[in-house]
Parts: sequence; C-alpha cells; structure tokens
Amino acid sequence: MVNQIFYVITVPMVYLAVAWCLVGIAVKVARVAKTPAHPFTLKIFPDKDHPVPSAVWGALSMPTVRRHNPTFWVFLILFHIGVALLILSHLDMLPWFNIYPEDSPNMIGNGAVGVVVTAAILYFLLRRFAGPLREVSVPADYLLLFLLFCVAMSGDIISWANSWSENGFVLTKQDFGEYLNGLFHFSWADPAETIDGGHYVVLVTHVFLANLFLMVLPFSKIMHTFFAIPLNKLRRG
Amino acid sequence: MDAKLKQELIQTFSERLSQAAKMYMENCSRCGLCIEACHAYASSPETRYTAVGRAQNIRRIYEEYFKKGKIAKKLNEAVELSDFWMEKVYETAYTCTGCRRCMTYCPFGIDTGVIQGIAKMMLITADQEPKALSMLADMSIAKGKTIEKTKTNFAAAAKNLEKEVLERWRSEGGEDVVPLDVQDANVLYVALAGKHSIIPAAAIMNAAKEKWSLSYFEAVNFGAFVGNPAKTKEIAGRIIDEAKRLNVKEVVICECGTAYRVMKHMTGEKPFGVITFAELIARYIEQGRIKLDKSKLPGKVTYHDPCQIARQGGIYEPPRYVLNHLTDHFVEMTPNRQANWCCGGGGGLVAIGEKDFRMKSAKVKADQVKATGAEVLCTACENCHTQLSDLNEHYGLGVEVMYLSDLTAKALVQD
Ligand code: SF4
Ligand code: SF4
Repeated sequence: MVNQIFYVITVPMVYLAVAWCLVGIAVKVARVAKTPAHPFTLKIFPDKDHPVPSAVWGALSMPTVRRHNPTFWVFLILFHIGVALLILSHLDMLPWFNIYPEDSPNMIGNGAVGVVVTAAILYFLLRRFAGPLREVSVPADYLLLFLLFCVAMSGDIISWANSWSENGFVLTKQDFGEYLNGLFHFSWADPAETIDGGHYVVLVTHVFLANLFLMVLPFSKIMHTFFAIPLNKLRRG
Repeated sequence: MDAKLKQELIQTFSERLSQAAKMYMENCSRCGLCIEACHAYASSPETRYTAVGRAQNIRRIYEEYFKKGKIAKKLNEAVELSDFWMEKVYETAYTCTGCRRCMTYCPFGIDTGVIQGIAKMMLITADQEPKALSMLADMSIAKGKTIEKTKTNFAAAAKNLEKEVLERWRSEGGEDVVPLDVQDANVLYVALAGKHSIIPAAAIMNAAKEKWSLSYFEAVNFGAFVGNPAKTKEIAGRIIDEAKRLNVKEVVICECGTAYRVMKHMTGEKPFGVITFAELIARYIEQGRIKLDKSKLPGKVTYHDPCQIARQGGIYEPPRYVLNHLTDHFVEMTPNRQANWCCGGGGGLVAIGEKDFRMKSAKVKADQVKATGAEVLCTACENCHTQLSDLNEHYGLGVEVMYLSDLTAKALVQD
C-alpha cells in the first residue's frame, strides 16, 4: 500500500502537478492579457528613456527594495538567485546536462544553494510575525512560506544531509538523475526500483511537497514571477 | 446591505478592473515595503494608514467576488460586502491622498491610486461619496453647459482685476490686461476661481509680452477628486473644447496639480501642448523675457514638490530654476523631488475638510518643513498651499506659505 502511494506521488502526481501548473499559469496570464489596458498612463517621473529594459532590470534587481530595506533586499536577491540555480541544478541531474561533472555526486553548489534558499525563506516567514507586517499578512502568506520552507528543507536533506554518512552520499545525483530522466521520457518506471534505502522516503516527501507547491502556484502570489516585469513596465511608462 | 446594491457594487468593481488593477489585486506579496512610504503611517503610525493596509480592504472584497475556491477565500481573508466593509472602502478612498509615494517603494510598483480609484467609484455607486465633491463636480459641468450666458459676467469680473494686475506690472497703453477669447493665442491660461490665481499670472505673462487668453473655466477638477472618470473627462473637456476653438498653441495650467495631471496625462492626445505655469515662468526667464529682482525675497526659501506635478508629472526642475532666480538662499527639503513627502491634503481631502486627519497624518511633512529652517515655504499647487498653510498654523512652523507665481510677480523688474 505504502509503495503504491509512493509510486503515485513520485510518478503520476508529478505529471498531474506539472500539467496543472502550466495550464493554470497559461489561463491566468491569458486572462490578464485580454483585459483592457488602464485608460491612462501610470508612470512615475522622472520617466525612463528605455522603459522595457528598465522594467526588466527593475524587476530583476529590485532597486526600490535595495534603497528602502537593504537587509530584505539581500535575502530577496539570495533567494531568487538561489531558486534560479536550484531549477538549473535539477535540470543538471539529467544525463544530457553537464554543468557539474557527470560523475560528481553533488548538485550545483554542493547543497549550499538550498541551504541559503531555506534560510531566506525562514527570514521571510519570521519577519511576518512582527510589527505592522503581521497585521497585513493573511493565512495564505504564512502557509505558502511554510510550504516552501518544507520543500526547501526536504531538498536540503537530499542534497546535503544525505552525504553525512561515513561513506559519503547515500543517494547520488546520478540516482536522482535516473528518476528524472525516466519522468522526462514517460517511462512510468517506479523510482523505488532504482533508488533504495532510508533516504527514499525523504525523496518522496520532497516530491510530494513540490507537487503541492506546483499545484498551488497558479493561485498564489508566486504568479508575480510572470507579472513582475509588466508591472514594473507600468510605472516606467 | 441589500442584494441589489451588492450586485451594483460588484459590477462597479469589475468595470474598474483594468489590466493594471487586476495585476495589482493579484500580485501584491504583502512584503510591507510600502509601509514606511506613506506619510499618514509615518505620522501616526497606524497600519490601516499604509498602502498595503488600505489596499487589503479592497483586495479582500476582490478575493470574495472575483476569485474561486472556498479554502482559498478563507486563506486570503476574503470578506463579503457589508456596511462595515463599505466603511473600510471609505477609509481606503479618503485617508489616501493618491500621492503615489508608495509606488516608489513597492518592488512591483503597485499604484495605490488605482486601488483608491476602485474604492472611490464603489462609494459613488453606494451614494456614500463626500457630497461636497460630487456637487462641485456637477457645478463645473453645469457651468460648461451655460457658459454662453455667463460670459458677460465673467468678462466684467476679469475687467475688475485690471487695477490689481497693473499694480504688479504696468502694461503698455491699449493692451488688454486680462484678455479673453483671443483667437490663435500662444497660451490659454486656465486659472482657479479666485483672483490670487489670475493676478500674478497675468502680470507675469504681460511682462513677457505673451499673446495669451484667460480661460472661462476654472482648472480644478472635482470629478478627479471624487473619482468619477466620466465627470473628470467632461470637466476637462470644457477646457479642451475652448482650446480647440481658440486654436491655441499651449494650455497652461495654473498652480493646481490635479488639473495639470488630468489635462496632461489622463485625457489622451490633444492638438495643443499642456504645461504648468511653473514651466512657463522658467521659459520666460530662460528666454530673457522677464527679469527678476532677488532683493524682493530675503531669507531662506524652500520648495514643496506637489505630488501631482512632480512625481506624477515630472516637473521637478523648472520651479527650482525659477526659485534660483528669485533668491540666493534656496534650501532643499529632505527628501525632495520624487521622494518628497506628500503635504497630506491631496485626493480631495482639503476640499472636504477633514482637518483633524489632515493635521495628524502630515506631521512628518511639518517636521520636514521645520528642519529646513526656511522662512518662506513655496509651492506650485493650490491644494498643497491650503494644506501647508493649515500645517503652518497647526504646528506653529512660522513660515510664510507662498505660490511660485506670486513670488515671481512680486519680483518682476520693470525697466
Ligand atoms: S498614495 Fe500616498 S497617501 Fe496613498 S497609500 Fe500611497 S503613500 Fe499613502
Ligand atoms: S510594497 Fe507592493 S508588494 Fe509589497 S506590500 Fe506594498 S503594495 Fe504589496
């Protein structure tokens, strides 16, 4: 029974979550795209000569945050770069990606990236418990951050704590790579057949939480990933 | 609240959901960056007087009526429309001045002014908007319709101002001191009701030998204050029609920030230019068309950037250019330009009274003025002028609050 549940989580649910997430994002973006533009300009002066590149740069580098809350900015930048690297390092597990040496048991950053991201999430979560921010936060804010924290934590265990055995890694990048590769090729293979041992349950937990996250994403404010640039464009004319 | 009104309010809300508004509703991460941006919070500090605090009142209604899923609604603290929540809608609409300072803090640039616009329109639908503003807007519209009948009276009133204009600037013989209906004029000057907005401007334009015409209409747009886009357009439309009829090159808006923003940025393309009076003065100085005597303005002078012409209009330097020709003792406020604190009187607050709230929420502005040590506090917006004068009195700032046009007219050098 447990094996079956694990299989559902690690294979069919992944497909479902990814499809759900992609369709959700597409629908949300399309809905906004077909809404009529605001009747007048919302720009703030001084206006920029090149609003598009400036909006892209503004969305990525968050100058207003840097100016008004440098500590928050450092965590935000670490978090966002970290997430980008994590996406890349998950892809790097696939045999045909070779950013890190093919035979290295480590993910990009040797587990450090995940830890930094986890720390940043913890900071985002904790700062919500104090001051005026507590008053404007809604339960969804805490839950989303908590979910992200759990995804990141379980990921850390896989990518880092997993190596704390006497013989080094219990499960290596290659093991996960095989699983991911199977998913990519729709082999419907049960990862339990190739990945074994006590750490397997951590992998299942990580995948389950990540699935949940993907399914929540289109309905959450993480959608700012897709709207940060158009939003920044509005104030730049 | 009855079901019919609820339905109408939801309808109003959905009509105001432009692409920008939708993105603002859905993408605020409640990061709190904007909290410190608002003068009302900085002066109180009460969380309900923050950009995100105000927006949450509207966003929670949005969650209820424009989003699906029971659990999601709970988690986002969706609320049903009720009399209590309409009070919160009022709070969003009329404790915010629409200064858009928060927009310069928010990583996404969420414009609280747009969210405030939804709140204001909901109040109009519920017949709960400040009646003074609607009434004044309607009066402006009515004036547009009956203008032909009132023209003679207006011309007589303009004639009455001649003596006072001539005291500021002795014009050449035969020249029209306050000209009206000048076909092909370079400038259509749109003033406010009240001679303080006509006399100095007339003296300056006459000194510069400008071919100008005084508009029959007052610049102020109460349609914008009450948040009614149709009325805003209609009120501005009277001036646009007049400018087209006279075939003027430029419409010059007197010292009224909202009127300028509406005319310049909210009414589409026009066959004439739109500038502020501050820009016109700066141009005259630059072209050597007027000369100013610095000795008329002794003591330290500081300048308050009106949000509607500065942050929302980009007019930062022309008033400073003029001031630097009026005095050698100009001092900046800190912060200034884009980061300047709002005076606390915008968004219709001055027009509807609200003095207690205006004074309480603008303490930070008063402190900022005090810190300059200036004797003269200059600005280029009537709304700001009224609020700053109230602050001056309330906080005992000991400054003289002056219009840029007035300071300029007083310093005109007649060769
Ligand atoms: S627009 Fe101005 S008054 Fe309104 S919330 Fe933003 S900072 Fe405050
Ligand atoms: S700064 Fe912007 S995203 Fe952050 S809470 Fe304020 S409005 Fe929302």
